[in-house]
Amino acid sequence: MFHAEKFIEKTISNLQREIKGKALIAFSGGVDSTVCAALVNTAIGKQLIAVHVDTGYMRKNEPEQVQRMMKDLGLNYRYISASEDYYQALKGIEEPEKKRKIIGEKFIRIFEQVAREEHISYLVQGTIAPDWIESGGGLRDTIKSHHNVGGLPEHMTLKLVEPLRDLYKDEVRKVARALQLSVSERQPFPGPGLAIRIIGEATPERTELVREACAIVEKEIERASEQGLMERPWQYFAVLIPIKTVGVHGDKRAYGNTIAIRAVQSVDAMTCHYSTIPHDVLDAISTKITNTLKEKVNRIVYDVTNKPPGTVEWE
Amino acid sequence: MSGNDRMVRIYVIDNGGQWTHREWRTLRDLDVDTKIVPNTTPLQELQKEEIHGLVLSGGAPRIGLASTLGNCAEYLDNAKFPILGICAGHQFMARHFGGEVKPSKLPEFGQVEITLCVDDDPLFTSVPKKSIVWESHNDEVTVLPKNFRKIAESDNCVIQAMGQLKRQFYGLQFHPEVEHTQYGEQIFKNFINLCKG
Repeated sequence: MFHAEKFIEKTISNLQREIKGKALIAFSGGVDSTVCAALVNTAIGKQLIAVHVDTGYMRKNEPEQVQRMMKDLGLNYRYISASEDYYQALKGIEEPEKKRKIIGEKFIRIFEQVAREEHISYLVQGTIAPDWIESGGGLRDTIKSHHNVGGLPEHMTLKLVEPLRDLYKDEVRKVARALQLSVSERQPFPGPGLAIRIIGEATPERTELVREACAIVEKEIERASEQGLMERPWQYFAVLIPIKTVGVHGDKRAYGNTIAIRAVQSVDAMTCHYSTIPHDVLDAISTKITNTLKEKVNRIVYDVTNKPPGTVEWE
Repeated sequence: MSGNDRMVRIYVIDNGGQWTHREWRTLRDLDVDTKIVPNTTPLQELQKEEIHGLVLSGGAPRIGLASTLGNCAEYLDNAKFPILGICAGHQFMARHFGGEVKPSKLPEFGQVEITLCVDDDPLFTSVPKKSIVWESHNDEVTVLPKNFRKIAESDNCVIQAMGQLKRQFYGLQFHPEVEHTQYGEQIFKNFINLCKG
């Protein structure tokens, strides 16, 4: 069986042996990187610098939340705002694997820059089992290049440290609970962020649409779960499908985009069942999204695909 | 682990499956001494330590089209312990012993109901006649190899499970290692019991 306490003890002593000097942790504010940061922070203290990159593809209010988290954890941290860079790099890019690779490489280049300034030689990442499994390599087919594995450039100067490599999300959550981290129940959010929740080019305008739609889906589903109307899903969000359909808005013709609602139940992300969201809740989400995004979005669909054959995220 | 409580050692042969690591995790969670081993490892090297069983993982290779799967043939020819083949591992086992594997007319992905065809198989102890399993396959076993019997079927796939009682070799088309397969853990427990001998 997996024992969180034993894992914590063993990992901290391994980290103390492995890391000689300063280290940088790629900090997204999710469960994996937060657990990792807490462990490494215990192991090497102020020798650790947490770096959070705002890619411009973060969720609503996320940059502020993440900064608060880094402060609360007592981390030595840097917050880097790089939205313009990312939007520029993804201009005209539609292919999902290309998006992931560009984002992955950009992360590393930013970390390398910080590492040079701070004389750091180790990069700590909260990589977990599904990240490297799905990224493929050797005999394994590439399902998608996770930004922290398949998205890494071939040549990089930093040494990788990945203490959670053999863990699945449910085990990481156990470790988070044992460390009393409030982030333990936070839903997963992919490193490439909203960029892979936009089918096609991830322009700043489209990002605004999907950001708003994701916020509405999160809010309505969290409310419904708290009221006991449904089980809180493992992951729940919106996807922007830039396919236009016809609608009618106040006696006028509308011609806007489509948003898909995605919510799944899982334990470890390796298999997922789509969530059964009550119709009233779907109704509330649909009305709120179309009324908020008005002429930009006039159709909402509900994704009823399991994994396999689908994956959780669409790209 | 030491003392009189002998630990069972079962290795997972990695044929490149998405769920190879899940097989490792399920065994570890059941207190088995386990590790993931590349399928190119010679049997002799595997047996440097005493092992009590092997799991042949699934993988992307199309067994319906290709004829080799690392050193799996060597394990099947010479093993003196139970072997559990899953998905591609199952298909390879069937093909190796003279059965047939073909692309599925209706490939199955995700949730499927299987029905047991026999009620006394030790691998399915405490598993009800009908249960939910999860699948992910493009090919399937269409003709049983000699000395194997069919244990389970589904609407779209005639051989969901097969077994050879004497050598305790088993093949499963579905995936007992994933969380969503209803009696997956029970099947692993039963396999561990077979390996304990």
